[in-house]
Amino acid sequence: MSIMTYNGGSIVAMTGKNCVAIACDKRFGIQGTALADNFQRIFQVGPHMFVGLPGLGTDTQTVYQKIRFRQNLYELKENRKMSPKVLLSMISNMLYERRFGPYFVEPMVVGLDPETAQPIVGNMDLIGCVNIPSDFVVGGPSSDQLYGMCETLWEPNLEPDDLFETIAQALVNACERNAVSGWGAVVHIIEQDKVTVRHVKTRMD
Amino acid sequence: MALVTKQILDTPIQHHFSPYSDNGGTTVAVAGPDYAIIASDTRLSAGYSIYTREQSKLFTLSETTVLGSSGCWCDILSLTRIIEARMQMYLHEHNKVMSTTSLAKMISIMMYGKRFFPYYTSTIIAGLDPEGKGCVYSYDPIGHTERANFRAGGSSGALLQALLDNQLGFKNQENVDKTPVSLEKAITVVKDAFTAAAERDIYTGDGVHLCAITKDGIKEFNFELRKD
Amino acid sequence: MFSDYSAPPMWQNGPALGKYYDFPNVSTNKISHNSTNGKQRYHTPLTTGTSVIGLVFNGGVILAADTAGYYGSMMRFNDCPRIFQVNKYTILGAGNDYADIQYLNDIIKQKILDDDLHNDGIALKPKSLHSWLTRVLYNRRSQFDPLWINAFVAGMQNGEPFLGTVDKLGTAYEDKILSFGFGTHISVPYLRQEREKNPNMTKEEAIACIKTCMDMLYVRDARSGAKYNIGVISNEGSEVQGPFESVGHWNIATHGTPGQE
Repeated sequence: MSIMTYNGGSIVAMTGKNCVAIACDKRFGIQGTALADNFQRIFQVGPHMFVGLPGLGTDTQTVYQKIRFRQNLYELKENRKMSPKVLLSMISNMLYERRFGPYFVEPMVVGLDPETAQPIVGNMDLIGCVNIPSDFVVGGPSSDQLYGMCETLWEPNLEPDDLFETIAQALVNACERNAVSGWGAVVHIIEQDKVTVRHVKTRMD
Repeated sequence: MALVTKQILDTPIQHHFSPYSDNGGTTVAVAGPDYAIIASDTRLSAGYSIYTREQSKLFTLSETTVLGSSGCWCDILSLTRIIEARMQMYLHEHNKVMSTTSLAKMISIMMYGKRFFPYYTSTIIAGLDPEGKGCVYSYDPIGHTERANFRAGGSSGALLQALLDNQLGFKNQENVDKTPVSLEKAITVVKDAFTAAAERDIYTGDGVHLCAITKDGIKEFNFELRKD
Repeated sequence: MFSDYSAPPMWQNGPALGKYYDFPNVSTNKISHNSTNGKQRYHTPLTTGTSVIGLVFNGGVILAADTAGYYGSMMRFNDCPRIFQVNKYTILGAGNDYADIQYLNDIIKQKILDDDLHNDGIALKPKSLHSWLTRVLYNRRSQFDPLWINAFVAGMQNGEPFLGTVDKLGTAYEDKILSFGFGTHISVPYLRQEREKNPNMTKEEAIACIKTCMDMLYVRDARSGAKYNIGVISNEGSEVQGPFESVGHWNIATHGTPGQE
């Protein structure tokens, strides 16, 4: 098992019609041993923006703190909200500073653009190679399973309710076929006028 | 430094020969109440080279059994040839064609027989059992076997098994009719599964070869997949 | 599926990406590299032959390979033919270790002789030879003593063209276009394009295609030679033609300066 799957925890994010979603399981463990069912890997970093940090648990928390620090400086200096695309390139730059001793996280950003309300999902590898697709991004030890699920379940222009069903089914079924993911899940649906957080029950084995 | 030099001198220089190769490929099988289907992609590859775009990985063993296998292609060729030979011996000895269930056991024993130099394959068989019900058996490289209702194996096994759990096993779904799917519906799901696999797995693509096994015999289908 | 791409270790004393973490001071059962028991039988190819290409046309098959024998990067031998006529139904082509090719060819020649001595009109057919080669090569790889060969069988069986290949492991498959070595990268894309344009190629068109490929390979493959043989088989019988000679593109030597070719 690699350092990237040492603590488990998988995240998936999808675009919909004027909305985006990001979902994550709640397991925290050390290899096969499950330790907690309330680990947070998705963080709100703006009214319509979330960041997901799959990877090594300690780096998830460190990188989140560093993202907040740099984002606060940006927003104080610029006196405006950061857009998802700016956040992505900021994290990318931050990770590349540690090119030869990286943080073991593959960050994921979802959000609606503050200006245009365009749904955006993006992710990067642990040294900051950014990818902004039009459909979905996956990360963590169940990414193989998530690719299989998302590639079949996802379709363009899903309404918020359908997007919730799609992302929840993708995550829960993927995590069931992965030993180090599961133990509950949480789904965030981001719309222009509201953010809905739903906690999803899963198998607890 | 001296230690490193000594270690290098002590080690006989080995030009590494590996008897195995990973030739990729994906197999999916589904068992229904009175049918079984099994499908494989038709790409044979090694690393970034595509050897051929039209190599089915299905082997029709009898009127009621089809085997699908991916992994090390030379091991697959050898394994299936020996299976075919032993089925002939069984036929001549007992004057009847080997049943899917007997075959399932025999394959397991044959694979475990090479426990310390395994056939490097992900093998699945699909067929009708002696009662006429559909059955699927899957194997690991050293002969562990299990009967299942549906199975995905090979390079896209991890991508597709979760999908089959959801779409054919109705896992994590509420308020749905959970009666087993029809043959037509199963074929549709398998087609979608391969389309998804070909999207993300470079070792799966080019085409799908599918066998549908019913009491009326084996029907074959071919579908195109992306070729990049 | 993505774990094959392991990166160099980036975490001090930690595992490489995609590898297991070994806790310090825990002994693991590592295989000793210094064990002296067991015989080292496997080897590397010494004198080698480069690309072999095969193409099915309407009513027959062509195989081609050059005659250069390389010893590492040194072009040591000039006359190492690698296309052999087996009988009127079958042609054999081979690449990689030339000693192993000769050894295998000697065995096949003996099989042909045995066939002829029976005088029953039954001769080795291409599918049989292909199948036999898979077993020989697979057995040798299973004994960790491979014949370092990529073999190509071309022939006519039941009036249909046959083209198949077997590698040193026993990996066997058939296709309309086959190749070994540099030919995989240089010739196959070209041949696929030509076959798509013209699926029912005549013998003459196919020979022209193959000759273009051999010319391209002579220019681009550092371990190739100018002389090459072509094996052609159709319902009229089999023959090995050549050696032909590629001229090359010598204007490259003058950096393509016009007037100095």
